[in-house]
Amino acid sequence: MQRAVQTLFKIMPFLFGIGFIAPLIAQTMTYWGWEPPLGLSPIGLGLLIGGPWGLYATLRGRWV
Amino acid sequence: MGALRDIAGAMGVTQGQGATDAMFFGDGLVETPARGDAPAIPLTGDASLDKHTRVALLREEREIARRFEGGKMWLYPAFAFTCYAIWLSFFPLAIMGWLNLPLAFVLSTVFAVGGYVTSHEAMHSNIGRPGSKMRWLNEWTGKVSTIIIVFPFSMARLMHLEHHYHCNHPEKDPDYPDRASGPWHAIYKTWLNRQPGVDGSIHIYKRILAEMGTKEAADSLKDTIRLQLIFLAVLFAMAWSGYAIEAALIWWLPRHIGLSYIRFYLSWAPHHPRVEQGRYTNTRLFKSRLGHIGSIGMETHFIHHLYPAIPSHRTKEAYHALRPVLEKRGVHCPEI
Repeated sequence: MQRAVQTLFKIMPFLFGIGFIAPLIAQTMTYWGWEPPLGLSPIGLGLLIGGPWGLYATLRGRWV
Repeated sequence: MGALRDIAGAMGVTQGQGATDAMFFGDGLVETPARGDAPAIPLTGDASLDKHTRVALLREEREIARRFEGGKMWLYPAFAFTCYAIWLSFFPLAIMGWLNLPLAFVLSTVFAVGGYVTSHEAMHSNIGRPGSKMRWLNEWTGKVSTIIIVFPFSMARLMHLEHHYHCNHPEKDPDYPDRASGPWHAIYKTWLNRQPGVDGSIHIYKRILAEMGTKEAADSLKDTIRLQLIFLAVLFAMAWSGYAIEAALIWWLPRHIGLSYIRFYLSWAPHHPRVEQGRYTNTRLFKSRLGHIGSIGMETHFIHHLYPAIPSHRTKEAYHALRPVLEKRGVHCPEI
Protein backbone atom coordinates (compact mmCIF):
# COMPACT_ATOMS: atom_id res chain seq x y z
CA MET A 1 0.00 0.00 0.00
CA GLN A 2 2.78 2.37 1.02
CA ARG A 3 4.70 1.57 -2.14
CA ALA A 4 1.63 2.15 -4.30
CA VAL A 5 1.02 5.55 -2.68
CA GLN A 6 4.69 6.49 -3.12
CA THR A 7 4.56 5.54 -6.79
CA LEU A 8 1.31 7.45 -7.25
CA PHE A 9 2.83 10.62 -5.80
CA LYS A 10 5.99 10.12 -7.82
CA ILE A 11 4.05 10.23 -11.09
CA MET A 12 1.53 12.78 -9.78
CA PRO A 13 2.86 15.68 -11.88
CA PHE A 14 2.20 13.62 -15.03
CA LEU A 15 -1.28 12.69 -13.78
CA PHE A 16 -1.89 16.34 -12.93
CA GLY A 17 -0.86 17.28 -16.45
CA ILE A 18 -3.47 15.07 -18.05
CA GLY A 19 -5.99 15.14 -15.21
CA PHE A 20 -6.20 18.86 -14.66
CA ILE A 21 -4.01 20.97 -16.92
CA ALA A 22 -5.27 19.38 -20.16
CA PRO A 23 -8.99 20.04 -19.49
CA LEU A 24 -8.13 23.44 -18.03
CA ILE A 25 -6.38 24.42 -21.26
CA ALA A 26 -9.24 23.04 -23.35
CA GLN A 27 -11.95 24.83 -21.37
CA THR A 28 -10.01 28.09 -21.22
CA MET A 29 -9.63 28.02 -25.01
CA THR A 30 -13.33 27.36 -25.46
CA TYR A 31 -14.21 30.13 -22.98
CA TRP A 32 -12.13 32.71 -24.88
CA GLY A 33 -13.20 31.36 -28.28
CA TRP A 34 -9.71 30.34 -29.38
CA GLU A 35 -9.42 27.75 -32.16
CA PRO A 36 -6.81 25.00 -31.71
CA PRO A 37 -4.29 24.75 -34.58
CA LEU A 38 -3.90 21.83 -37.02
CA GLY A 39 -7.53 20.82 -36.73
CA LEU A 40 -7.03 19.56 -33.18
CA SER A 41 -9.87 19.51 -30.69
CA PRO A 42 -9.42 21.71 -27.59
CA ILE A 43 -8.96 18.67 -25.36
CA GLY A 44 -6.54 17.17 -27.90
CA LEU A 45 -4.37 20.25 -27.67
CA GLY A 46 -4.78 20.28 -23.89
CA LEU A 47 -3.50 16.71 -23.69
CA LEU A 48 -0.70 17.51 -26.09
CA ILE A 49 0.49 20.28 -23.76
CA GLY A 50 -0.53 18.92 -20.34
CA GLY A 51 0.82 15.39 -20.85
CA PRO A 52 4.41 16.28 -21.87
CA TRP A 53 4.49 19.17 -19.40
CA GLY A 54 3.48 16.85 -16.56
CA LEU A 55 6.00 14.28 -17.75
CA TYR A 56 8.70 16.98 -17.78
CA ALA A 57 7.77 17.96 -14.20
CA THR A 58 7.85 14.31 -13.13
CA LEU A 59 11.29 13.73 -14.61
CA ARG A 60 12.89 17.11 -13.87
CA GLY A 61 11.25 17.70 -10.49
CA ARG A 62 9.92 21.15 -11.31
CA TRP A 63 7.28 22.61 -13.56
CA VAL A 64 9.45 25.33 -15.10
CA MET B 1 24.81 25.51 16.16
CA GLY B 2 28.29 26.13 17.44
CA ALA B 3 29.38 26.70 13.87
CA LEU B 4 26.57 29.17 13.44
CA ARG B 5 27.70 31.06 16.52
CA ASP B 6 31.21 31.17 15.11
CA ILE B 7 29.92 32.53 11.82
CA ALA B 8 27.74 35.07 13.60
CA GLY B 9 30.67 36.08 15.76
CA ALA B 10 32.89 36.44 12.72
CA MET B 11 30.28 38.67 11.13
CA GLY B 12 30.35 40.87 14.20
CA VAL B 13 26.75 40.35 15.12
CA THR B 14 27.35 38.77 18.50
CA GLN B 15 27.39 41.18 21.36
CA GLY B 16 25.81 41.57 24.75
CA GLN B 17 23.34 38.98 26.02
CA GLY B 18 25.96 36.41 27.00
CA ALA B 19 25.34 32.71 26.99
CA THR B 20 22.13 32.64 28.94
CA ASP B 21 18.58 33.81 28.58
CA ALA B 22 16.21 34.00 31.48
CA MET B 23 13.18 31.82 30.91
CA PHE B 24 10.22 30.74 32.95
CA PHE B 25 9.66 27.09 33.65
CA GLY B 26 6.42 26.38 35.46
CA ASP B 27 5.94 28.99 38.14
CA GLY B 28 9.62 29.52 38.76
CA LEU B 29 12.08 31.83 37.10
CA VAL B 30 15.39 30.30 36.20
CA GLU B 31 18.26 31.13 33.93
CA THR B 32 18.85 28.54 31.24
CA PRO B 33 21.23 28.26 28.33
CA ALA B 34 19.76 29.86 25.23
CA ARG B 35 19.50 27.87 22.01
CA GLY B 36 21.44 30.55 20.22
CA ASP B 37 23.06 33.43 21.99
CA ALA B 38 24.03 35.59 19.05
CA PRO B 39 21.55 38.42 18.63
CA ALA B 40 20.65 39.49 15.09
CA ILE B 41 19.36 42.76 16.51
CA PRO B 42 22.21 44.65 18.21
CA LEU B 43 21.53 44.29 21.90
CA THR B 44 23.61 47.22 23.05
CA GLY B 45 21.50 47.81 26.14
CA ASP B 46 21.71 44.25 27.25
CA ALA B 47 25.51 44.22 27.46
CA SER B 48 25.32 46.25 30.64
CA LEU B 49 22.55 44.20 32.24
CA ASP B 50 23.40 41.86 35.03
CA LYS B 51 21.53 38.67 35.78
CA HIS B 52 19.22 40.25 38.37
CA THR B 53 18.24 43.05 36.02
CA ARG B 54 17.47 40.59 33.27
CA VAL B 55 15.38 38.46 35.59
CA ALA B 56 13.52 41.53 36.88
CA LEU B 57 12.90 42.69 33.33
CA LEU B 58 11.61 39.29 32.36
CA ARG B 59 9.26 39.25 35.33
CA GLU B 60 7.94 42.66 34.34
CA GLU B 61 7.70 41.58 30.71
CA ARG B 62 5.72 38.49 31.65
CA GLU B 63 3.33 40.41 33.89
CA ILE B 64 2.56 42.82 31.05
CA ALA B 65 2.21 40.02 28.49
CA ARG B 66 -0.25 38.14 30.67
CA ARG B 67 -2.72 41.01 30.32
CA PHE B 68 -2.95 40.36 26.58
CA GLU B 69 -3.53 36.63 26.66
CA GLY B 70 -7.01 35.51 25.61
CA GLY B 71 -9.67 38.03 24.65
CA LYS B 72 -12.33 37.70 21.99
CA MET B 73 -11.24 34.24 20.91
CA TRP B 74 -14.71 33.35 19.60
CA LEU B 75 -13.80 35.49 16.57
CA TYR B 76 -11.46 32.80 15.28
CA PRO B 77 -13.91 29.86 15.14
CA ALA B 78 -16.64 32.22 13.89
CA PHE B 79 -14.40 33.36 11.03
CA ALA B 80 -13.13 29.84 10.31
CA PHE B 81 -16.54 28.14 10.13
CA THR B 82 -18.23 30.98 8.25
CA CYS B 83 -15.49 31.17 5.63
CA TYR B 84 -15.37 27.40 5.27
CA ALA B 85 -19.14 27.23 4.76
CA ILE B 86 -19.06 30.03 2.19
CA TRP B 87 -16.14 28.42 0.38
CA LEU B 88 -17.85 25.01 0.30
CA SER B 89 -20.98 26.61 -1.13
CA PHE B 90 -18.92 27.90 -4.06
CA PHE B 91 -18.68 24.40 -5.55
CA PRO B 92 -22.41 23.66 -6.06
CA LEU B 93 -23.03 27.32 -6.93
CA ALA B 94 -20.32 27.18 -9.60
CA ILE B 95 -21.71 23.97 -11.07
CA MET B 96 -25.19 25.52 -11.18
CA GLY B 97 -23.74 28.62 -12.83
CA TRP B 98 -24.89 30.92 -10.03
CA LEU B 99 -21.45 32.05 -8.94
CA ASN B 100 -19.54 35.22 -9.71
CA LEU B 101 -16.23 33.46 -10.35
CA PRO B 102 -13.86 36.46 -10.05
CA LEU B 103 -15.42 37.35 -6.70
CA ALA B 104 -15.28 33.73 -5.56
CA PHE B 105 -11.61 33.59 -6.56
CA VAL B 106 -10.75 36.68 -4.51
CA LEU B 107 -12.74 35.44 -1.51
CA SER B 108 -11.25 31.93 -1.71
CA THR B 109 -7.75 33.44 -1.69
CA VAL B 110 -8.60 35.57 1.34
CA PHE B 111 -10.06 32.49 3.06
CA ALA B 112 -6.93 30.49 2.25
CA VAL B 113 -4.69 33.08 3.93
CA GLY B 114 -7.11 33.88 6.75
CA GLY B 115 -7.59 30.19 7.41
CA TYR B 116 -3.97 29.85 8.38
CA VAL B 117 -4.38 32.67 10.90
CA THR B 118 -7.36 30.97 12.58
CA SER B 119 -5.67 27.57 12.53
CA HIS B 120 -2.56 29.18 14.01
CA GLU B 121 -4.50 30.12 17.15
CA ALA B 122 -5.72 26.53 17.34
CA MET B 123 -2.16 25.23 16.93
CA HIS B 124 -1.26 27.06 20.13
CA SER B 125 -4.50 25.88 21.83
CA ASN B 126 -5.51 29.51 22.32
CA ILE B 127 -9.18 28.77 21.58
CA GLY B 128 -9.42 25.83 23.99
CA ARG B 129 -6.68 24.31 26.14
CA PRO B 130 -6.35 20.50 26.39
CA GLY B 131 -8.92 19.25 28.85
CA SER B 132 -11.06 22.38 28.70
CA LYS B 133 -14.69 22.28 27.59
CA MET B 134 -13.82 24.35 24.51
CA ARG B 135 -11.14 21.93 23.36
CA TRP B 136 -13.34 20.42 20.64
CA LEU B 137 -13.89 23.91 19.20
CA ASN B 138 -10.15 24.51 19.17
CA GLU B 139 -9.54 21.27 17.26
CA TRP B 140 -12.33 21.75 14.73
CA THR B 141 -11.36 25.35 14.11
CA GLY B 142 -7.90 24.14 13.25
CA LYS B 143 -9.18 21.30 11.07
CA VAL B 144 -11.53 23.31 8.87
CA SER B 145 -9.18 26.29 8.58
CA THR B 146 -6.39 24.63 6.61
CA ILE B 147 -8.44 22.54 4.19
CA ILE B 148 -8.28 25.21 1.47
CA ILE B 149 -4.49 25.21 1.53
CA VAL B 150 -4.46 21.38 1.62
CA PHE B 151 -2.33 21.33 4.74
CA PRO B 152 -3.99 19.20 7.42
CA PHE B 153 -4.17 20.67 10.88
CA SER B 154 -2.38 17.70 12.45
CA MET B 155 0.66 18.29 10.23
CA ALA B 156 0.44 22.08 10.44
CA ARG B 157 0.41 22.00 14.25
CA LEU B 158 3.32 19.57 14.58
CA MET B 159 5.45 21.51 12.14
CA HIS B 160 4.59 24.89 13.62
CA LEU B 161 5.43 23.78 17.15
CA GLU B 162 8.73 22.36 15.85
CA HIS B 163 9.35 25.77 14.31
CA HIS B 164 8.87 27.36 17.74
CA TYR B 165 11.10 24.81 19.48
CA HIS B 166 13.91 25.10 16.92
CA CYS B 167 13.36 28.50 15.36
CA ASN B 168 15.93 29.18 12.59
CA HIS B 169 17.81 25.92 13.14
CA PRO B 170 19.01 24.85 9.66
CA GLU B 171 17.99 21.22 10.12
CA LYS B 172 15.30 21.23 12.79
CA ASP B 173 13.19 24.25 11.88
CA PRO B 174 10.63 23.05 9.26
CA ASP B 175 10.36 26.61 7.94
CA TYR B 176 14.08 26.96 7.32
CA PRO B 177 13.77 26.31 3.52
CA ASP B 178 11.99 29.69 3.31
CA ARG B 179 15.28 31.41 4.04
CA ALA B 180 16.06 33.96 1.31
CA SER B 181 18.34 36.91 0.69
CA GLY B 182 15.58 39.42 0.00
CA PRO B 183 11.86 39.81 -0.73
CA TRP B 184 12.02 38.83 -4.41
CA HIS B 185 14.15 35.83 -3.62
CA ALA B 186 11.67 34.94 -0.86
CA ILE B 187 8.75 35.08 -3.31
CA TYR B 188 10.70 32.86 -5.70
CA LYS B 189 11.43 30.41 -2.85
CA THR B 190 7.72 30.14 -2.02
CA TRP B 191 7.24 28.74 -5.53
CA LEU B 192 10.47 26.74 -5.67
CA ASN B 193 9.85 24.95 -2.37
CA ARG B 194 6.58 23.56 -3.69
CA GLN B 195 8.13 21.97 -6.76
CA PRO B 196 7.86 18.17 -6.74
CA GLY B 197 11.55 17.34 -6.93
CA VAL B 198 13.03 20.21 -4.94
CA ASP B 199 14.24 19.59 -1.38
CA GLY B 200 11.64 22.02 -0.09
CA SER B 201 9.03 22.16 2.61
CA ILE B 202 7.32 18.78 2.24
CA HIS B 203 10.64 16.93 2.14
CA ILE B 204 11.92 18.57 5.32
CA TYR B 205 8.53 17.88 6.94
CA LYS B 206 8.80 14.20 6.08
CA ARG B 207 12.32 14.02 7.43
CA ILE B 208 11.37 15.73 10.70
CA LEU B 209 8.32 13.48 11.08
CA ALA B 210 10.50 10.39 10.54
CA GLU B 211 12.92 11.65 13.19
CA MET B 212 10.04 12.21 15.61
CA GLY B 213 8.90 8.64 15.04
CA THR B 214 5.69 9.06 17.04
CA LYS B 215 2.18 7.84 16.24
CA GLU B 216 1.13 11.48 16.06
CA ALA B 217 3.77 12.10 13.39
CA ALA B 218 2.75 9.03 11.37
CA ASP B 219 -0.93 10.02 11.61
CA SER B 220 -0.22 13.53 10.42
CA LEU B 221 1.59 12.17 7.37
CA LYS B 222 -1.42 9.94 6.61
CA ASP B 223 -3.73 12.94 7.01
CA THR B 224 -1.58 14.85 4.52
CA ILE B 225 -1.71 12.04 1.96
CA ARG B 226 -5.49 11.71 2.37
CA LEU B 227 -6.15 15.44 2.01
CA GLN B 228 -3.86 15.74 -1.01
CA LEU B 229 -5.58 12.80 -2.71
CA ILE B 230 -9.01 14.32 -2.01
CA PHE B 231 -7.81 17.66 -3.39
CA LEU B 232 -6.48 16.07 -6.57
CA ALA B 233 -9.55 13.84 -6.99
CA VAL B 234 -11.84 16.89 -6.74
CA LEU B 235 -9.72 18.84 -9.23
CA PHE B 236 -9.57 15.96 -11.73
CA ALA B 237 -13.27 15.12 -11.39
CA MET B 238 -14.36 18.73 -11.80
CA ALA B 239 -11.96 19.33 -14.68
CA TRP B 240 -13.11 16.30 -16.68
CA SER B 241 -16.75 17.17 -15.95
CA GLY B 242 -16.33 20.54 -17.64
CA TYR B 243 -15.57 22.67 -14.55
CA ALA B 244 -11.80 23.05 -14.79
CA ILE B 245 -11.89 26.86 -14.70
CA GLU B 246 -14.19 26.80 -11.68
CA ALA B 247 -11.92 24.32 -9.86
CA ALA B 248 -8.89 26.43 -10.71
CA LEU B 249 -10.43 29.65 -9.44
CA ILE B 250 -12.08 28.24 -6.31
CA TRP B 251 -9.35 25.93 -5.04
CA TRP B 252 -6.20 25.45 -7.11
CA LEU B 253 -5.08 29.07 -7.59
CA PRO B 254 -6.28 30.37 -4.19
CA ARG B 255 -4.31 27.57 -2.56
CA HIS B 256 -1.10 28.45 -4.39
CA ILE B 257 -1.44 32.21 -3.97
CA GLY B 258 -2.43 31.72 -0.33
CA LEU B 259 0.54 29.44 0.38
CA SER B 260 2.95 31.90 -1.19
CA TYR B 261 1.48 34.76 0.81
CA ILE B 262 1.62 32.73 4.02
CA ARG B 263 5.18 31.60 3.37
CA PHE B 264 6.29 35.12 2.59
CA TYR B 265 4.61 36.93 5.46
CA LEU B 266 4.43 34.30 8.16
CA SER B 267 7.73 32.62 7.54
CA TRP B 268 10.22 34.72 5.63
CA ALA B 269 9.45 38.33 6.64
CA PRO B 270 9.47 38.01 10.45
CA HIS B 271 12.46 35.65 10.59
CA HIS B 272 14.73 37.23 8.02
CA PRO B 273 17.76 36.81 7.89
CA ARG B 274 17.16 33.55 9.73
CA VAL B 275 20.51 33.34 11.42
CA GLU B 276 19.90 33.81 15.13
CA GLN B 277 18.16 31.35 17.42
CA GLY B 278 17.91 33.24 20.70
CA ARG B 279 14.66 34.15 22.44
CA TYR B 280 15.00 37.84 21.58
CA THR B 281 16.80 37.41 18.29
CA ASN B 282 15.11 34.67 16.26
CA THR B 283 12.35 37.00 15.07
CA ARG B 284 12.37 40.63 14.03
CA LEU B 285 10.02 43.56 14.37
CA PHE B 286 9.40 45.33 11.08
CA LYS B 287 7.16 47.84 9.38
CA SER B 288 5.26 46.35 6.46
CA ARG B 289 4.22 48.30 3.38
CA LEU B 290 0.92 46.45 3.49
CA GLY B 291 0.32 47.45 7.10
CA HIS B 292 -0.49 45.29 10.08
CA ILE B 293 -3.58 43.61 8.59
CA GLY B 294 -2.06 43.27 5.13
CA SER B 295 0.92 41.49 6.65
CA ILE B 296 -1.44 39.29 8.69
CA GLY B 297 -0.16 40.80 11.93
CA MET B 298 3.40 39.70 11.23
CA GLU B 299 4.96 43.08 12.01
CA THR B 300 4.77 42.04 15.66
CA HIS B 301 5.36 38.31 15.20
CA PHE B 302 8.25 38.84 17.63
CA ILE B 303 5.66 39.13 20.41
CA HIS B 304 4.06 35.88 19.29
CA HIS B 305 7.37 34.04 19.63
CA LEU B 306 7.86 35.44 23.11
CA TYR B 307 4.27 34.77 24.18
CA PRO B 308 2.34 32.40 21.87
CA ALA B 309 -0.71 32.61 24.16
CA ILE B 310 -1.24 36.21 23.02
CA PRO B 311 -3.63 35.93 20.06
CA SER B 312 -2.72 37.44 16.69
CA HIS B 313 -5.15 40.34 16.97
CA ARG B 314 -3.53 41.52 20.22
CA THR B 315 0.18 41.28 19.43
CA LYS B 316 0.43 44.88 18.24
CA GLU B 317 -1.30 46.16 21.35
CA ALA B 318 0.96 43.95 23.47
CA TYR B 319 4.02 45.24 21.61
CA HIS B 320 3.25 48.84 22.53
CA ALA B 321 2.81 47.86 26.16
CA LEU B 322 5.97 45.73 26.20
CA ARG B 323 8.12 48.13 24.23
CA PRO B 324 9.70 50.00 27.19
CA VAL B 325 10.76 46.72 28.82
CA LEU B 326 12.06 45.30 25.56
CA GLU B 327 14.06 48.46 24.88
CA LYS B 328 15.65 48.23 28.32
CA ARG B 329 16.69 44.72 27.35
CA GLY B 330 18.30 46.08 24.21
CA VAL B 331 15.77 44.94 21.62
CA HIS B 332 15.47 47.30 18.67
CA CYS B 333 11.85 48.44 18.73
CA PRO B 334 10.78 50.35 15.61
CA GLU B 335 7.61 52.42 15.26
CA ILE B 336 4.86 50.08 14.13
